Amino acid sequence: MSDLDRQIEQLKRCEPLSESEVKSLCLKAMEILVEESNVQRVDAPVTLCGDIHGQFYDMMELFKVGGDCPKTNYLFLGDFVDRGYYSVETFLLLLALKVRYPDRITLIRGNHESRQITQVYGFYDECLRKYGSVNVWRYCTDIFDYMSLSAVVENKIFCVHGGLSPTINTLDQIRTIDRKQEVPHDGAMCDLLWSDPEDIVEGWGLSPRGAGFLFGGSVVTTFNHTNNIDYIGRAHQLVMEGYKWMFDSQIVTVWSAPNYCYRCGNIASILELDENLNKEFRVFQAAQQDSRGPPAKKPAPDYFL
Amino acid sequence: MAMVDEPLYPIALLIDELKNDDIQLRLNSIRRLSTIARALGEERTRKELIPFLSENSDDDDEVLLAMAEELGVFIPFVGGIEHAHVIIPPLESLCTVEETSVREKVVDLLCKICSQMKESDHVDSFVPLVKAYSQLCQEDMPMVRRAAASNLGKFATTLEPAFLNVEIMTMFNGLTKDDQDSVRLLAAEGCAALEKLLEPQDCVARILHVTVNFARELSTDSSQHVRSALASVIMGMAPILGKTLSIVINILKSSIQDSTIEHLLPIFLSLLKDEFPDVRLNIISKLDQVNQFIGIDLLSQSLLPAIVELAEDRHWRVMLAVIEYVPMLASQLGIGFFDDKLVALCMQWMQDKVYSIRKAATNNLKRLAEEFGVGHGQQSALPTQDDGSTCKCAISLMAPVMGSEITCSKFLPVVVEAAKDRVPNIKFNVAKLMQTLIPIVDQSVVDKIIRQCLVDLSEDPDVDVRYFANQALRSIDYAAVAQS
Repeated sequence: MSDLDRQIEQLKRCEPLSESEVKSLCLKAMEILVEESNVQRVDAPVTLCGDIHGQFYDMMELFKVGGDCPKTNYLFLGDFVDRGYYSVETFLLLLALKVRYPDRITLIRGNHESRQITQVYGFYDECLRKYGSVNVWRYCTDIFDYMSLSAVVENKIFCVHGGLSPTINTLDQIRTIDRKQEVPHDGAMCDLLWSDPEDIVEGWGLSPRGAGFLFGGSVVTTFNHTNNIDYIGRAHQLVMEGYKWMFDSQIVTVWSAPNYCYRCGNIASILELDENLNKEFRVFQAAQQDSRGPPAKKPAPDYFL
Repeated sequence: MAMVDEPLYPIALLIDELKNDDIQLRLNSIRRLSTIARALGEERTRKELIPFLSENSDDDDEVLLAMAEELGVFIPFVGGIEHAHVIIPPLESLCTVEETSVREKVVDLLCKICSQMKESDHVDSFVPLVKAYSQLCQEDMPMVRRAAASNLGKFATTLEPAFLNVEIMTMFNGLTKDDQDSVRLLAAEGCAALEKLLEPQDCVARILHVTVNFARELSTDSSQHVRSALASVIMGMAPILGKTLSIVINILKSSIQDSTIEHLLPIFLSLLKDEFPDVRLNIISKLDQVNQFIGIDLLSQSLLPAIVELAEDRHWRVMLAVIEYVPMLASQLGIGFFDDKLVALCMQWMQDKVYSIRKAATNNLKRLAEEFGVGHGQQSALPTQDDGSTCKCAISLMAPVMGSEITCSKFLPVVVEAAKDRVPNIKFNVAKLMQTLIPIVDQSVVDKIIRQCLVDLSEDPDVDVRYFANQALRSIDYAAVAQS
């Protein structure tokens, strides 16, 4: 069994890697991610997953419902870290799977894959607590800069963490972004990771999040038409039923963190696309208490809702 | 200490120190209780020290815990066993303390004191004790009733059987009707322990009626936690009720068997239909135990429809529990029954939407093939082979069980066909599967069919297909080297 396979087995038991292992894993991941496009091409069949937010045991539940990697191909839409107790193990497992099976799993960047945000919402503190230093946080946040911004499944389904940007009309415009940087406070790259679709908005509106925009149905219609896209798959917003279609099935939100923050009471979902792009949502609930292992020693309360 | 001679001094000192602001001082003085008691003598300990302690239950938990510990060794200081009951009032007041560890300690002590009294045969002294305990069971504070309920079984073991029938069962009945669900829950958990204590005849006479009635009430309890606890407890009851069979005379035998079935079966069935999956799961996971006491015929008549219903439960974990139970059920019910009733379900699970269900279902097939033999596996497993990757998984599990001939004639063509699929995941699963088939099939089949197929896959555009194909090819070479 190779080192990498052993590390994957270890991470599947929710045991973190050593600092030096993280460093070398991140170096290998960097080589793979740097080659990916800002609009990474993904083949069907593939299973779309939304926010995970460090809820490791719930992600294991996801794999139980959707199938293991590499048996099933996965496209994760970002926000792997922050808020849950196990951001380190969650992100490292996904990253190790990416390095082991680059063509079977695609990871794109969410707004929480950022130095600034992770210092506020828990990933930084978790690294410090689990390793006694912030080196692992540095390695991981450096990797965040290399992650792709979006993906397109069989040229028909555009996938992004947040949504659209008023400065972006075509996929080619996304392809020209220089993504290897911390998520900026404004501009196209920021909008892709922060924006939300909104029913009552006509065109573009201000986002209450303080970054990105709200966009209405007409924006989506135009974008999908211009780029010959069937629909947009995105995550970023909690939906109690696990998934939610908007604007006459032109955009779908997929949310994969059941009982978000261990208290929201929502169910989660993944979207399975077969080789002919037929859609099937799989909803699932939080992992059972006894499969969760010991709770983190000191969950810092201030970044919980 | 010289002061010990001064008759009033120790108790005054104790009172003084027990009122001190410093917790350490209070603790120290409590730890010296036995010294003080010895100084006071038996009578004054009974009349002065104990009443003082009874009123002193308003302190830090740590102090109270220490006090409870001290009181545990107090019997000699109050004048031996015949005066042991005087220790009960302070223990009683300690029972009302919020801190669980204190209450637990106290109930523990009550049991300990009881068993000492039992040894010395002072049956009369039991009366205040039992009365004290019975009061605890009716305390206003639910916290106390909870402690009493969870320790009832333990307390009962320390008593003479004579008390059990009347007093303990009264307490037990009361607790099972408590308005707090947590109290009812703890009482439900304790009821199996109670049954072990009763003589078989009593068990038949009392427990059967009392607990079955109460179980019937609890099975419709408003709290799902109580119903769930009952589900696991009721399984503890079945063997106990059954065990009496071997003890009680033959005439009674059949009537007990009847009453087990008659009383328990409806409860099982209503719990099996409970709206909460946890309750249903609990029952299913223990069904094999029930099976020993409720005959096969009744089981198939009554439980099976419920199981079939559960097998279609929308909670996949409930479904999973049922699936894992199927081979056991099949082995108990026999092949004919399996073919009639269960085979369709198994096939349905193989194509379920949830990956874990498909996986468990394929595992099941293997276990069933082991149970019922090769021929049966061939009949029932093969019709589903049009189903993509689950089928491959099934084959890799089944092939070792089924043997070379069936593997070559039935499985291999399906696998070779799947190698031409356009989805890489199917192709590399084919490669993995072929690797598992190599040791099972003839060398000629490996050379003629498998190797060529793997060579094709090893030139696939997908890196993972190439990887797993090369892995498999390497294991062919490995096997060849090992043979030569």
